[in-house]
Amino acid sequence: MAFLELTNVRKSFGQVNAVESFDLKVERGELVSFLGPSGCGKTTTLRMIAGFEMPTDGSITINGADITYVPPNKRNVGMVFQSYALFPNMTVADNIGFGLKIAKKPSSEIKKRAEEMLALIHMPGLGNRYPYQLSGGQQQRVALARALAFSPQVLLLDEPLSALDAKIRVSLRGEIHSIQQKLGITTIYVTHDQEEALSMSDRVVVMNNGHIEQIGTPFEIYNFPKTEFVAQFVGTLNTLTAEVRDAADKRLVVDGQEIKSAHALDGAQVGEKVTVSIRPERISFYGEIQKVNTMNCTVENISFLGSIVRIQVRTGANVFYMDTFNNPFLELPKIGDKIQITFSAEAVLVLRQSA
Amino acid sequence: MKKINFWAWLWIVLGAVYFFLPLYGTLDFSLREQRGVLSFLAYQNVLNDPRFRDSFTFSTLMAVATIIVGLLLIVPTAYWVHLRLPQARPIVEFITLLPFVVPAIVLVFGFIRIYSGPPLALTNSTTTTNALLMFGYMVVALPYTYRSVDAGLRAIDVRTLTEAAQSLGAGWFTILFRIIFPNLRVALLSGAFLTFAIVVGEFTLANLLNRPAFGPYMVLLGQDRAYEPAALSIMSFALTWAAIGLIQLLSRGAPEQSQLGGVH
Amino acid sequence: MNGLLAWLGVAPFFLFAILFLLWPSSSLIIGGFQDPAGNFTLKNIGDLFTPSIMNSYALSIQISAVTAIAGALFGFLLAYAAILGGLPRWIRTALMTLCGVASNFAGVPLAFAFIATLGRTGFLTALFVNVLGINIYNLGFNLYNFWGLALTYMYFQFPLMVLIMAPALDGLKREWREASENMGASSFQYWRYVALPILLPALLGAVILLFGNYFGAYATAYALTGGTLPLITIGIGQQIAGNVLYNPNLGYALALGMIVIMAVCIGGYTWLQSRTARWLR
Repeated sequence: MAFLELTNVRKSFGQVNAVESFDLKVERGELVSFLGPSGCGKTTTLRMIAGFEMPTDGSITINGADITYVPPNKRNVGMVFQSYALFPNMTVADNIGFGLKIAKKPSSEIKKRAEEMLALIHMPGLGNRYPYQLSGGQQQRVALARALAFSPQVLLLDEPLSALDAKIRVSLRGEIHSIQQKLGITTIYVTHDQEEALSMSDRVVVMNNGHIEQIGTPFEIYNFPKTEFVAQFVGTLNTLTAEVRDAADKRLVVDGQEIKSAHALDGAQVGEKVTVSIRPERISFYGEIQKVNTMNCTVENISFLGSIVRIQVRTGANVFYMDTFNNPFLELPKIGDKIQITFSAEAVLVLRQSA
Repeated sequence: MKKINFWAWLWIVLGAVYFFLPLYGTLDFSLREQRGVLSFLAYQNVLNDPRFRDSFTFSTLMAVATIIVGLLLIVPTAYWVHLRLPQARPIVEFITLLPFVVPAIVLVFGFIRIYSGPPLALTNSTTTTNALLMFGYMVVALPYTYRSVDAGLRAIDVRTLTEAAQSLGAGWFTILFRIIFPNLRVALLSGAFLTFAIVVGEFTLANLLNRPAFGPYMVLLGQDRAYEPAALSIMSFALTWAAIGLIQLLSRGAPEQSQLGGVH
Repeated sequence: MNGLLAWLGVAPFFLFAILFLLWPSSSLIIGGFQDPAGNFTLKNIGDLFTPSIMNSYALSIQISAVTAIAGALFGFLLAYAAILGGLPRWIRTALMTLCGVASNFAGVPLAFAFIATLGRTGFLTALFVNVLGINIYNLGFNLYNFWGLALTYMYFQFPLMVLIMAPALDGLKREWREASENMGASSFQYWRYVALPILLPALLGAVILLFGNYFGAYATAYALTGGTLPLITIGIGQQIAGNVLYNPNLGYALALGMIVIMAVCIGGYTWLQSRTARWLR
């Protein structure tokens, strides 16, 4: 039995279904992200695990115990909020020690624990500060320490980094990940930022419109998106309209040029229109590398993005991107040039439409 | 959840009773001048009383004067503090708080001490006493008007507006009267209505400076009539309601800005 | 446009403040320390400590404290009910409007309203007699004494409290409650350790403001009791009208005492305000 299990969880607010048939098993020590656009139900699901929302249907268990209808203050689940939610009237140390104080632990133990936690978040000696004297990043680290101090069974993080600016976001992301690894605490991390989800999670749950689109490792989610939504939401994606030429041989036609896919075209009819996707970074110039598929196209735009150069090309009705690593010695084509591109059959994913 | 709702409703109902019962009682009382029937006789008596008309007119004029002079003084000051003299903000704000420290009764005591003899014997003539009364009202209303105007200035980007106007060639007069005042319309009107509500019923200053204002008239009437004061009370309640209602109507959509005020 | 010239822009305001606020009040303060001939003396201050004057101050302070605390309590409960009680939204809007009106409905008309309602022949008094057969005046109630005045003053005290507390209650973040529940706290513990401490400065500040609000009030008390209740404001009014004391300098000292008490109140209020503002930045 998995450590945290959500079974067929559903939540509706009046007529609106916020979360539908949510099934998830999280192993002890695992970090699972809920990834999706705002309003997709990821925060609602997290709040059901915390106990702030009651599921309309289904059950939630932690370590075998059914907690579906247990009030939030009896769940022993730690939560970090997007807005930090530090108590402004208490010092940092008092904030961190709050859970233990409520649990009626002796004050010497609370003090010791607060110091341990401050060391863990690399803020030793700042226990006497008040939240308003701290930066946003520091406040969120204190909030993390506070959520961990009373040794909860599960740690929940609700978009903890989205109120911070870009640089701090990246460094704090690493810090949260390493603390999670060090403590080995089972963690659910809600975010709308794919980079966050991909970089720190053991597994990612991609959500859309209240249901799960796909559950998988970051590698699976990125490289083998199961639905068009996942493919679109995670990373940059080219979607091309193609026509099936031979389903058994996996051959398709894009604007009159034939390409091959390595993926099955389950029962598609000849002449049927399908959507195929290719990641920009899997397309190369024909001259440098040669792969199974080649296409002729026209350069429409070139944008320099630092480490990579993104080239927008057109083949008839389809417009898409190819990425190439920036290289000072690379001779880039010009707008209007006719070029040949190449990509492998594995790079061509045929998407089923997401529900 | 049910339990919280019960208590919440209970307090709200109690509050509503406290609020409406005296009003209802007063209304009922004011209609009973004629024995056995409900009538507007008390209201007619009040409206037909020349002293009512005189004192009400006097107070209205005083209110209008207070509003105009007050805004002409406060808007440029607040504007200037925002734009050029941020370092004066603490002291100006301190002064605008002082009328809370010096209640009207103390203020008028000070007025009489200073202005009833040389070198500035303002209380010797009617005109100058009226002026003194107006300045007293301005002091009493100062915390409310200043806050209202200050909040209005915070809400618009004064500096950019001013600079934009200057870059288009506007002078200070144009900036103030064609740019700043119109953009502060809501704040200015709020301040004006609040001042009006304060001044019209004011008793302390007018009474002790011996001016025939509406407040002292009401007290006078209260001493020798029974039903007319109730009618007056209802009328001034309607007036307060109108003033506050207009403020809330004007500031609809704007963030909740409380109107704390009144002369008690 | 710098330096002294920039200060010229606020000169009219300062002139106004000096002529009609600072000078009059400081003249009273100075007058409190002078004898009729203008020489420095502490006699007036010493005379404040005679029983009758002390009683006046005590009465004013007591009645202010009673209305401030009772008004604050009731106002707080009302604001709590409207904002956190889970009531429909329109209740809140209506309450705020009513409070805006009620907190401005004061002075003479308020006194009349209470006379018409709870005076000897008032609407409620008559209702009690006719329906329940009880004359509340025989039971010891009197609109024209301490408790009657307190009841009247509550009419604008509690709405004022609602207006002050509503933003403070709005400032309580939902996440604070959730965070404390999340760490195992009960609702009581949340209020005990988090919400009340956060609200405390605002609450105390509001009580102080209500206290000061009543303490300086004159019109309602005068209109209601006709000056029979020896409040300190009534005493000063009589002093101005030229009755009773025959010693203007003692009158100035009376006013000085009021200014001191009010200054302490408002000082405390602003201090507590800045404390909350700092927390909730």
